[in-house]
Amino acid sequence: MLNKQNLLLIIQREYLTRLKSKIFIVSTILAPIIMILLLVLPIMIQSMSGDRIRQYHVYDETGVVGHKLAESDSIYYQITGQTPGELREKLLLGSVEGYIVIPHEILDGMGIPAFYHDGSAGITVISRIRSDLQSAIQDIRLDRLEASEELRAVLADRFTVNNFTVSESGEETESSGLYALIGFVMGFIIYGAMIGYGAIIMRSVMEEKTSRIVEVIASAVRPLDLLMGKVIGVALLGLTQFGIWALAGSALMVSAAPVALMFSSGNGEAVEMAASFPVLGPMVWISFILFFLLGFLIYSSLFAAVGSAVDQESDSQQLQLPIIMLIIIPILFLFPVSDDPTSTLAISLSMVPFFAPILMPVRMAVISVPFWQFAVTILLMVLTFLLLIWLSSRIYRTGILMYGKKASLKELWRWVRQS
Amino acid sequence: MDTISKTDPIVEFENVAKLFGELRAVDNVSFEVNQSHIFGLLGPNGAGKTTSIRMLTHILAPDAGTIRLNGRQVGSETQRLLGYLPEERGLYKKMKVGEQLVYLCRLRGMTRKDAEKSIRYWLGRFSAEDWVGMEVSELSKGMQQKIQFVATVAHDPDCLIFDEPFSGLDPINSEMLKEVILELRNAGKTILFATHRMEQVEQLCDYIALFHKGKLILSGELSKIRASYGKNSIRMRFAGDNSFLEKLKNIRINNRSTHFAEFRLLDGADDQDILKESLKHVRVLSFEYIEPGLQEIFIDSVSQ
Repeated sequence: MLNKQNLLLIIQREYLTRLKSKIFIVSTILAPIIMILLLVLPIMIQSMSGDRIRQYHVYDETGVVGHKLAESDSIYYQITGQTPGELREKLLLGSVEGYIVIPHEILDGMGIPAFYHDGSAGITVISRIRSDLQSAIQDIRLDRLEASEELRAVLADRFTVNNFTVSESGEETESSGLYALIGFVMGFIIYGAMIGYGAIIMRSVMEEKTSRIVEVIASAVRPLDLLMGKVIGVALLGLTQFGIWALAGSALMVSAAPVALMFSSGNGEAVEMAASFPVLGPMVWISFILFFLLGFLIYSSLFAAVGSAVDQESDSQQLQLPIIMLIIIPILFLFPVSDDPTSTLAISLSMVPFFAPILMPVRMAVISVPFWQFAVTILLMVLTFLLLIWLSSRIYRTGILMYGKKASLKELWRWVRQS
Repeated sequence: MDTISKTDPIVEFENVAKLFGELRAVDNVSFEVNQSHIFGLLGPNGAGKTTSIRMLTHILAPDAGTIRLNGRQVGSETQRLLGYLPEERGLYKKMKVGEQLVYLCRLRGMTRKDAEKSIRYWLGRFSAEDWVGMEVSELSKGMQQKIQFVATVAHDPDCLIFDEPFSGLDPINSEMLKEVILELRNAGKTILFATHRMEQVEQLCDYIALFHKGKLILSGELSKIRASYGKNSIRMRFAGDNSFLEKLKNIRINNRSTHFAEFRLLDGADDQDILKESLKHVRVLSFEYIEPGLQEIFIDSVSQ
């Protein structure tokens, strides 16, 4: 049905010209750098601004809590004999950054300590003071009760719950909230890819229209071959880009892991978290790539139709809107679906071809989705793609010859029936 | 209507119609084009020429009737037999000339090797060999037109279609194009022209089809058509102010300039009277009966 030779030529051209384009090279290099910067910069800024030495005066009515605080950090906490009134004056004059008032009833489980400051103390400072106060007061009260070591240990104990999913075949897999997180990340990656690469397809069709080569092309190849070639070519481009990122990412992980471990050696939590990072089965990865591809193919067919119907990017907004809506709907359901992945809502939504690219990988990351659901969804998506690309090629036939006219959805439908 | 049936026709239109909503863009059109002929599709803008061409190139599908190319119904398989220079011209701006031409040739089924050989010949023909490695956006408009032309002919099609080929061409490229078209015809190619500038193709076309409002109003061999009209027009050359032409009664002026006018006598007009009247105003240098121009034939056919 398709002209294979032309299809290959078109795929090759779409793939190679874009692969060699400056935009592709720049975006491939810059995107991860920007991502890393977005992650690292706030931490760097925080740690840089956290370096400033702060000092707070402690007005202590109990006579013991203040000492306990000063023991933990004698620079941060400064015991003072000045009254709250005097400290207030100094705060107003600016010679004192802040002060803490500890009421004497606090050791009897009553009263509330107060922290006054000039506005320079943020959430980090306040939560630190609260936790320092909490442990100081708890210690002193436990001392007074002459509490045993066991009791203290019990109080200090923190525990977690190990979650296991037991599948129908009786297999146990350790599950954690991280699976849902991974599902979210996958969903968002697919979301971004569908919008990003969809726009490339749209522009690729539009570019042929604005450069007016489209009639020469249309006199040589069939619209279906052309659109199919474009969509597959750009899909390969997307896979290449993600492949490069995945390779660079894993190379970075492998080389950075020992370094990270060295730095975090004092920090048990980080090591623990890295160790508990869930291992995903190959099925999840394969299905991620599969849904990525099919989702991309479905949405690019729609974007291609929009591209052929307009000749200016600004005119495309109106026609793009329904497509963007279709992509956003599953994002809205990300949480309910990952929270209760076996509910009827989750199952039915994740099997709708337009929502599946985002919702199915999320469900697959969290639970093991029954094979029939997986298979039926894939089949539905393939059929949807074939139908859409066929519809698009009909819109294309008429659309490419229309210039300077904004087409409405109604008109697009007329073109489908007409050609 | 004069039908051509010497040899098997290359292009056949049989009762072809195309509707755009209520508009009959092409209305029951039939004509044939034989091999090695230069065939002109003529008529004003909106007469149905471009729509006919788009159906022949299988960009549009006819609503009724049959179009055949080399005896086969037009479809995606017949596309590679055609070379098409559309009125709206363009190339991939960010693609190198050589790569682009090879791509376009290969889309029409040529091998890379054959494509490169043919492209080298045609670029040489236009002294454009040095542009192979340049991006189209780096070329001037005149250079782009040459590349566009190479893109039309390089895959060695049997039949070439030019839609308003001379529009936007500078005089040098125009002349070159005419030369190459005649060259192609002599090499056995069939050439279809569509233009509303009838005087431009008069010297080139062997056969013509006149379109008006979607209908074919006249078709056949140009020389025969002209002969059938006889020498019914008068060409007058003169020296002096040409404003007297307005005062001449019972004639229709088809073509005029400062020292020249071509006109037709209407009912009741006498050539001697016109000559006498003209002599009162200017020195008449020549006064002769000629065959009508295409413009005149067109107007005549439309008014019938």
